Amino acid sequence: MKVIESKGITKNYFRKQVLKELTFSIEENKITGLIGRNGAGKTTLLKIIAGFIRESSGKMDVFSETPFNSLNVSVNSIFVDDQMSFPPALQLGELLNEAARFYPNWNDELAQKLFNYFSFDAKGYHNRLSKGKTSTFNMIIGLASRCPLTIFDEPTTGMDEAVRKDFYRALLKDYIDYPRTIILSSHHLDEIEDLLEDVLLLHNGKKLLHKPISDLKEWAIGVKGASEDVLDFTQEREVLYKNSVGMNTQYVVVKNDFSEEALSKAHHSGLEITPVRSSDLFVYLTAEAKGGIDDVFNNN
Amino acid sequence: MSLTTTSLAETVKKQYFYKLKANIDSFSSLVGIQILAILFSLGGISSSGMGGSFVNVNVKYYSSDMVLIFTLIWSFITAVTITTRPYRNNDFSFVTNRLSSSLSNILFLVTASVLGSITALLSANLLQVISYIFLDEQIYNIGNGTQHMILGFTVSFLYLILIGACGYLIGALIQVSKLFIPLFPILFIGLLFLEGVVSNGFIVSNVYTFYAMESALILFIIKTVFTAVTLFIAAISILNRLEVRR
Repeated sequence: MKVIESKGITKNYFRKQVLKELTFSIEENKITGLIGRNGAGKTTLLKIIAGFIRESSGKMDVFSETPFNSLNVSVNSIFVDDQMSFPPALQLGELLNEAARFYPNWNDELAQKLFNYFSFDAKGYHNRLSKGKTSTFNMIIGLASRCPLTIFDEPTTGMDEAVRKDFYRALLKDYIDYPRTIILSSHHLDEIEDLLEDVLLLHNGKKLLHKPISDLKEWAIGVKGASEDVLDFTQEREVLYKNSVGMNTQYVVVKNDFSEEALSKAHHSGLEITPVRSSDLFVYLTAEAKGGIDDVFNNN
Repeated sequence: MSLTTTSLAETVKKQYFYKLKANIDSFSSLVGIQILAILFSLGGISSSGMGGSFVNVNVKYYSSDMVLIFTLIWSFITAVTITTRPYRNNDFSFVTNRLSSSLSNILFLVTASVLGSITALLSANLLQVISYIFLDEQIYNIGNGTQHMILGFTVSFLYLILIGACGYLIGALIQVSKLFIPLFPILFIGLLFLEGVVSNGFIVSNVYTFYAMESALILFIIKTVFTAVTLFIAAISILNRLEVRR
């Protein structure tokens, strides 16, 4: 079953087009990573899925319904980020009780255990929490609500290393106990790649690729060796990344559509073929053509 | 993973109780504003005197009119407040859609109006008690008894909900465009000026006569309820298209 089906979604903010003709679908009970640079349109897309904002054109279906103003989508989904707002009059303990009343699948045992593990005070207030604590509390709400569609938009903002690791582990364990569709947006692909099944890569409001993470790991290869050999091997192919390593040696990343034969031949001719880490590939794919940060400081 | 379903009525009910707790501050401000109004009323709201060579009669009127007026202002402000962005965002952290959010807001305003009218009415008794204890004057009481109370409650409740509905619509319009913030005061004060220029009354006095000078209770109920419902429907249809947390 397809939980999310997006057909040609476009979103304009004033004169700026944030999402451009986005078409994809997400299957049930998969953990999908929504990856993209800052301003790629991740949050905008997730807010359309959650029904907070409306697409400018195209059609978004969540559980075969338009999410904007749909109660069924709202009761079956939760959108977690660091901007989640709660009434300042309610204490944290009361907020958990309210969440339990609203979400039918709410697991109170899990919520209380996590609440105690991260040493929250039931009499504390949400607007007095620190940045990392706010994210942690919101994450507890997101996990314990056990919504069939759980959306985490940059859930680890402000969390320290230990809490981040705990969060990823908690997410995975609870997912195994209670499989559901999870979308996790982040720009730290290396942190979450072990969790993910699928990756949806956004760049400047467009879908760059949407495939299983295992495919992504094999999607490109790095070739290292003498410059002429490397150039010869990768000619007429789109070079994703190129770097000179010392004298007359080059490292080039290209899309991996070589035959087994060609690869072994290259290996024999002295070229070093290596897999490319998916987080590196993400950086290469979304690099702007303007050069690197060094050019900003380069006065010449 | 099986999907769960919910109904509009169920969601509105949950949101209503959520809002009673979440908006507890508006009730404490009600208490504050009514105490202030009672303090203002302690000197009597009007007085008249007459006298001859040997007798001087000075009559002072004590009433809770001031409290009701302050409560009306409170109702307006509360209604505008709950349309603002933080309050709408609070709803969207849990299960909601825009219709259920508005319906539960309206239920909250109705509850607030009930509480406001009861306390405003009872403050008249408090005024009498205070003046009995602290003022060394003869006190006469006009207008008392159950029937008087029920009438007073009905009328002040309807005024409160009418003003609340105005506030809710104005709040909704402000959420669409901030241009409405200066527009409404300009419109209101401008109309008052026009009122002074035109001899036989203009919009403001006609509106005032229409709602405030109605002597038949049943007609008054019909007028106010119909107007309030219309204003609420207009506000709902505006808020129904608003994006949140953008």
